[in-house]
Amino acid sequence: MRRIDPFRLALLAITAAIIASPISAQGPPDSGPPPMVELTGSWAMSNDEERLIRIDPGPELGNFTGFPLNAAGRQKALTWNATIQAVPEHQSRAHAATYSMRGPGPNFHMGEIIDPATRRLMAYTITGLFENANRTIWLDGRPHPSEYAEHLWNGFSTGEWENGALHVTTTHVKPMFIQRNGIPASPYAVMHEFFIRHGDRLLLISQVDDPVYLEEPMVRTSTFRWNPGQREGGLPQVEVAEEVPSLQQGDVPHYPLGSRHPEYADENKLPFEATLGGKETLYPEYAEKLKQLMTKQGPASGGSSK
Amino acid sequence: MSNQHAFRSARLGACVAVALLAGHRLAGQQPPAPPAARTPRAAATSDLTGYWVSVVTEEWRWRMITPPKGDYTSIPLSDEGRRVAFLWDPQTDGSCKAYGAAGLMRMPTRLNISWQSDAVLKVESDAGQQTRLLQFAPTPQPGGRSLQGFSVAEWEPIGGGLAGRGGRAGGPPTPVALKVVTTNLLEGWLRRNGVAYSDATTLTEYWDRVAFPNGDVWLTVSQYVSDPKYLTAEYTTSMHFKRESDGSKWKPAPCRQA
Repeated sequence: MRRIDPFRLALLAITAAIIASPISAQGPPDSGPPPMVELTGSWAMSNDEERLIRIDPGPELGNFTGFPLNAAGRQKALTWNATIQAVPEHQSRAHAATYSMRGPGPNFHMGEIIDPATRRLMAYTITGLFENANRTIWLDGRPHPSEYAEHLWNGFSTGEWENGALHVTTTHVKPMFIQRNGIPASPYAVMHEFFIRHGDRLLLISQVDDPVYLEEPMVRTSTFRWNPGQREGGLPQVEVAEEVPSLQQGDVPHYPLGSRHPEYADENKLPFEATLGGKETLYPEYAEKLKQLMTKQGPASGGSSK
Repeated sequence: MSNQHAFRSARLGACVAVALLAGHRLAGQQPPAPPAARTPRAAATSDLTGYWVSVVTEEWRWRMITPPKGDYTSIPLSDEGRRVAFLWDPQTDGSCKAYGAAGLMRMPTRLNISWQSDAVLKVESDAGQQTRLLQFAPTPQPGGRSLQGFSVAEWEPIGGGLAGRGGRAGGPPTPVALKVVTTNLLEGWLRRNGVAYSDATTLTEYWDRVAFPNGDVWLTVSQYVSDPKYLTAEYTTSMHFKRESDGSKWKPAPCRQA
């Protein structure tokens, strides 16, 4: 029988103990990447809020209710003329990211960009937005470009996971509007969004912070439902047509500075000043002031402010 | 000599076996014993308590004032729901029916949310002076119908527990959202102009808190109203509330009893 060298046997015992001990000393596995939630797929809008505003006919001229406009924003909004949409250069114009998730619709598809080498998720894509202003949300930690970089309809978006929600930060958006009746957004606006999934429902919380036109950041919430097989819209309109014959080349439809648009207030029996928006008008305290204004205005056949 | 050597070898062999077994046992201790069950209050991954104010940036015309009779824009009313909506008497404006669970969150109001116990979250409104109790362990069975109904709460993994990926065992706790299902409701109003929901309504809600980089903290309440009597489809809305540092702006105002 072959003799076993006691020293080799002792060495084997020590080695075995060393191998065994690190397994037990590891404790819980490392925390790894933060938990994320599957967002890819087709999502259909729920339009049970502001249906006529978000689809057609769209928001009324002079209806700035619910927007924390400052004086500059109000002035610019009052000069906006819907005929601007008929100018050839504007007929195929996309909606900027500061508005495109709000209306019309949209029904959209959330897709992925996967790094072909590492197979890691680099970005989400959002397609189906109005006039194809589709978005890319970079998740790979890249920085936002210089403030002097090109601004686009879809801006530049990065995302990160926070407590189960996808937090998206968007900058470099072309100046446009945050509502389809000319409520403006400047190129300095920064948008933060949280996408939160609850089963087959998706909540989008959006904040637009615009130091030029808003008194305080504008927050809106929208809901979507998972809708597999959906065909998204958003195809570009490619044929430019003469929509308003009286328009001459070079015309820029607008209302002059100092214009008022009381039609919305009149039609809905609202005090004109209440329809001009502003931070004050968004909070519960304003309901009392509104009541006083409406009393002063006289009996309304429609609503009251109780 | 050979016997002694064999004995030493056997002893060392036994040591090896003990060492291996010890390592094995230590390694086998994973995963650690499951922790004791946590209370719903301790299981929260976001703090919903405090004072919150509704910021009416959506449907302003339908929320800041009482809309005209018959204005049910955006609400998927059935014929019966439409008939009931047209029965509304403007003299009843301000009724407590507008402050039931399916309508309350759309009112311009402040909320004060606190833990009544480790398993009951209390939501109070200053508009209409209502109190909702969101019960995680609903041991008392629902009693009679009420404006705020019987609300069963649970922490649901964000994504609905269906869609999560990327997390690892032992990593940070899975984020959860507050899901609330409310039944046993008295008939109430979705809008202050008498657009009604019936007592057969089931209200499903998700309550989410987010913090924006500018320091503002917001609470969003997403509501899904199912009413087989007055609605033809689920009525979906979401309301957002901004966190306030204290209750200095809290102004209780009662509603009008019918």
